Amino acid sequence: MTDATARPVAKLPVQALPWLPRPASKMRDRLAALPADVIEALGAMRALAQAGWEEAELRQLGRKISSILKSAPDSFAADAREQGLVPIHLLMLSASTASHLADAIVGTAIRFGFLLQVTIAEYEEPEPWLARHRDELKRTPPDFVLIASDNRMLRLASPLGDEDAATRTIEAVLAQVMRIAEVAAGATGKPVILQTLADDPDAPQINMDRGLPGSPRHLADEFNRRLALQVRQAGHLLLDVEGLASLVGQSVWSAGRYWYAAKYPFAVAMAPLYADHIMRIVAAQMGRSRRVLVLDLDNTVWGGIVGDDGIEGLALGTGSPLGESYAALQRMALAWKERGILLCISSKNDETIALDAFRHHPEMILREHDIVAFRINWDDKAANIKAIASMIDLGLESFVLLDDNPAERKRVRDALPAVAVPELPDDPSEWISVFQAAGYFEQISFSQEDRLRAGMYKANARRVAQLERIGDHDDYLRSLDMTLAIAPFDQPGRKRIAQLIAKSNQFNLTTRRYSEAEVAALQANPDAVTVQARLADMFGDNGMISAVICHTNGKQWKVDSWIMSCRVLGRRVEEAILQHLVRAARAAGASELIGRYIPTARNGLVRDHFAKLGFARISEEPNGETIWRLDVGQYLDKELPMKIEAAAPAGSASAA
Amino acid sequence: MDVVFNNTQTRILDRLQEIFRSELDDDDLIIGMDTRQADLKAWDSLAHIRLVSSIESEFDFQFSLAEIEEISSVRQFVDAIRSHLP
Repeated sequence: MTDATARPVAKLPVQALPWLPRPASKMRDRLAALPADVIEALGAMRALAQAGWEEAELRQLGRKISSILKSAPDSFAADAREQGLVPIHLLMLSASTASHLADAIVGTAIRFGFLLQVTIAEYEEPEPWLARHRDELKRTPPDFVLIASDNRMLRLASPLGDEDAATRTIEAVLAQVMRIAEVAAGATGKPVILQTLADDPDAPQINMDRGLPGSPRHLADEFNRRLALQVRQAGHLLLDVEGLASLVGQSVWSAGRYWYAAKYPFAVAMAPLYADHIMRIVAAQMGRSRRVLVLDLDNTVWGGIVGDDGIEGLALGTGSPLGESYAALQRMALAWKERGILLCISSKNDETIALDAFRHHPEMILREHDIVAFRINWDDKAANIKAIASMIDLGLESFVLLDDNPAERKRVRDALPAVAVPELPDDPSEWISVFQAAGYFEQISFSQEDRLRAGMYKANARRVAQLERIGDHDDYLRSLDMTLAIAPFDQPGRKRIAQLIAKSNQFNLTTRRYSEAEVAALQANPDAVTVQARLADMFGDNGMISAVICHTNGKQWKVDSWIMSCRVLGRRVEEAILQHLVRAARAAGASELIGRYIPTARNGLVRDHFAKLGFARISEEPNGETIWRLDVGQYLDKELPMKIEAAAPAGSASAA
Repeated sequence: MDVVFNNTQTRILDRLQEIFRSELDDDDLIIGMDTRQADLKAWDSLAHIRLVSSIESEFDFQFSLAEIEEISSVRQFVDAIRSHLP
């Protein structure tokens, strides 16, 4: 209970990021005591950033990071990457003041493992700014552009009661914002982050206004709705500022005096929350969103201690207010499962007693089949979470632990800093709002695979059981009755392909990220050969599990990206895809395949990918990058333990 | 008698010193009661607002819009802070 005194007494507002532990001292004292070594200092600041600092202190942290980055030697980026700190560059376009937000965003970024450099364009319409800086943007494109539009930039206004005029106004403003986004995307080649518009609490707002065309609230509503749809269709990213403002309350969100004094777009104290949301989206786009929710049992999933109180003594479900609140928490977990989040249980308990309650308590909402992995024993919680991570083959940075016990929370935070462990209010009825506000499971797109994911992981667990029974690996693979469907990129697969490209970190040879728009462009590119592959077997459909992009150049095909879901490791899928590529290359008259491996902190798994496939290494660069060659004439067809259904690869027919 | 102690001019000046160093991004900066906005290049209009918001959060009160506009020296900050503290 070491941290008990640091826990909040009063209920914290959302903008204080209540899911983070409270800081134990002053930021400036902590910054004064940083280690001298740059990498060590950044590591210490990453740890500092895990607390819920208020705006002024968060800015101090951000400023310190920026000054360290500015004076750091060139060689340091590789060292930082090794520590899991990834440098990224954000361009923020605002018609209001935004420079005061830069430091807060930098200070927040390191909490997510990013070393952020921010360029701010403020007080100006974005279009002329982008036009003026076109060459610079081409030369050193930022990784992300945020179009921080607000009422000042958009100037939504239309005569009251005139529906046609309101529609025209909204469409014109929407076209303007989307044009800015296209210009930015064209200049940087990256998806753009666009914002919804917060209601203006200073504008006239009466109850009927949502239905009154031309009223400020109607205009904002309609604009936001259409913007969200267009952003999704265009493959851009949405920052829902209106959602944030309504979460904290419009009048709290509003800049008030600071608008008049300095044209701040929203209140100073909102900066940590705003920055947190920007980084959630960035992290999700960079493949760093969390995917696993580990739940404790006693006093988390149900009220009481099952070993002491027995099944009938637990508070759960109808009959008591406390029981209702635990049932609501279970419903929340189930709602996340519907969005593709894997649920696991880790509890210090007698396994037989706890599982009996889980299976047989009449008010349980979570059922055994909702849970991907159980670890119920008396071992250390951190060790159990590590065990779950290796069971389901996902990194600890994908994990969130929900646990009522402050000592366990602290233990897991200390032992496994990569795992997110939300601080919780004392009263369980307040947990859900804090947990939801933390936004651990940010997603940038939704595909059918997301809904099926839990089933796929469970099917995997059954496959492991079958392998144990059969013993010989090839016999086992044949027994799975696999069908691999290979096709070029197409429109129906595009969302999932983009998701695979955004999220895969381990089986990813070059870790090049492409947006949905870029994936669409590849599909139409006659010099690109693309492969998407789906794998089904007797236990179920694994969905789309691999994507490969090659660029053709006469007799040489270069493998730009090769990505596979780790769910299907060891199934010889990569060999089947190579065979497909070799046949396509031969048909197109090409003579060699060139592969590249770019090492990252997380893709050591595929260091020998090309070697295993029979490629010869032709060069190695100082940073560990290797280049490989396969003579397609020398390749011998293999007997593979699966049925292959291949559609003709696009682009190959016309290649030389 | 903590409140009285916190209200003394030197005590406030000590806390302002740290805020000025942070917000004007100058670890060696030394301010005095007679330091004026015109004396410090880094104390521009945006830095002024950052000072205001940092002081508001450090001392837990709000300046009036008129004060934000009028203040242009350390002495004025100290006087305004004293008038807002209990």
